[in-house]
Amino acid sequence: MYGYHDLPVDVEEEGISISMEKLGEQWVYRRKFGDEEVEKLILGDDKCLIINPVEPLNTPKEITPNLLIEFEKTLLIGAGEKKQVFLTFPVEIGIFISGKTKKNLEILDVLSLVGQKFTLYGEVSNGVVCKYWKSRVYTAPPDLNPLQEGVLELTLRNSSSEWAKISKVVFSAYGMKLYYDGGVFMKARMDILNRNSAETSFEALPSNGDRQGSLFKSRKEAFGVYGIRKLGLVPLKFYMGWGL
Amino acid sequence: MIPDMNFFEIILYRTTNADVTLGALLKFFFVLSLSVVAARIFTIYLRRSLQDRVSKDVTEAVIKLLYYGAMGVVFISILPLIGLDPSGLLLAGGVAGIVIGFASQNIVGNLVSGFFLMIERPIKIGDQVEVNGISGYVSDIRIISTLVRTYDGLLVRIPNEQVFTTNITNLVGHPVRRFEYTVGIRYSDDADEAIRLIKYLIDKEPFALQNPSPSVFVNELGDNSVNISVRVWAPVSEWFDLKTRILWTIKKTLEENGIEVPFPQRVLHFTGDSERVNENVEELLAESEG
Repeated sequence: MYGYHDLPVDVEEEGISISMEKLGEQWVYRRKFGDEEVEKLILGDDKCLIINPVEPLNTPKEITPNLLIEFEKTLLIGAGEKKQVFLTFPVEIGIFISGKTKKNLEILDVLSLVGQKFTLYGEVSNGVVCKYWKSRVYTAPPDLNPLQEGVLELTLRNSSSEWAKISKVVFSAYGMKLYYDGGVFMKARMDILNRNSAETSFEALPSNGDRQGSLFKSRKEAFGVYGIRKLGLVPLKFYMGWGL
Repeated sequence: MIPDMNFFEIILYRTTNADVTLGALLKFFFVLSLSVVAARIFTIYLRRSLQDRVSKDVTEAVIKLLYYGAMGVVFISILPLIGLDPSGLLLAGGVAGIVIGFASQNIVGNLVSGFFLMIERPIKIGDQVEVNGISGYVSDIRIISTLVRTYDGLLVRIPNEQVFTTNITNLVGHPVRRFEYTVGIRYSDDADEAIRLIKYLIDKEPFALQNPSPSVFVNELGDNSVNISVRVWAPVSEWFDLKTRILWTIKKTLEENGIEVPFPQRVLHFTGDSERVNENVEELLAESEG
């Protein structure tokens, strides 16, 4: 399903039906999934439809730019150590419309096949609302349904002088970089500052030719909903100050 | 011979207080112009620094007040340069000030409260608040008053002194908020099953927060029902929608699973002769039907 689609288009997978056909002088975009139906009209020709995974923060309603992933089991990492683990994250499917030049994108629709939940990170008085996801911690990338879940390669660096217990990680969507090709992937890091605080950020991949890691070889970078916005100075990192 | 003349010392006119020279007059205009330029630069700086913090109306009011206040002070202090004595003006101003002060103490009180509201910022434009029994959205915070749009669309102007001195409840002051229901079930129903069903429904709701976790428990053995308390946290932006949606879903789901919300009821015990009891019951029924 993911990729560039020239018009007219008609795709069906896992109960999702996406089509765009000409009706007179205009194009009609239709999407069906379960009881949900979306229909939009598009004026003009020479357009192309792009379907790719986007940041999992747009459905059912965009109320926060933060994603909290809770680990099924608490992780412990020793002082000064650097380890890599794999987590899962929920995937949302973004449908964009663009000109033939693949520039000047506009989001048409976003849908999700997985359950949605929100949570609070921090205190009631000053915490932040986050999208919630629970994940197992893997030592190798798991096989997942790319329309539902993606693989997050997380590098943990404990720069403190004591053991750190980690049960969750929080990210800001503004720095998210998703890649896809068969599966959906992200690469992030978590710098543990002390027992209770850490800083998280996403890592961009080098261009295709320079990629060493097998996980990201030949992956395409996805257009994100947050990525196509003209954002000013927003923090791309998330400071976890209310515990790990 | 050209006389040794200093143009700045040329006396232009005489007043009862002093001789006004060309130099003094030029000095007067120079200081005045410099003050205007300085005040303009200061207002530009102030406008930039306040633009994201305070509404435009308030910013403009504050800027005008400071601008004209500063210009007034400068003007009065350089009046001696043009031969005018400001002490008389100050005396007159002082007397007028006292009179105006008494007449406008409420306005001044509101003004001062407005300044403190802007500094303390217990409420912001767009917040949902309850002030002095008035609930709604804050549509503007002005220098003298605060405007609140009530939930039924009325515009209420509350003097800032009232806003500042009464209790303010900011309904969206924190990122999350809790609501609570009491769901009554029959004594014959399985409360554990009811709790399981309610928890399942809450779990399916995206905006019912995972943490702080919801709590569902038997809170009271009431007169007519076993009362189950349901407490759910939600983001403030979604709180009302969730609260209005979930209760009916709980009721329908419980009924679909054979658990009913009972009507108020009384159990009567009659003692003595059973035949007479039956007669009494029949009489009571006949009376109630009649």
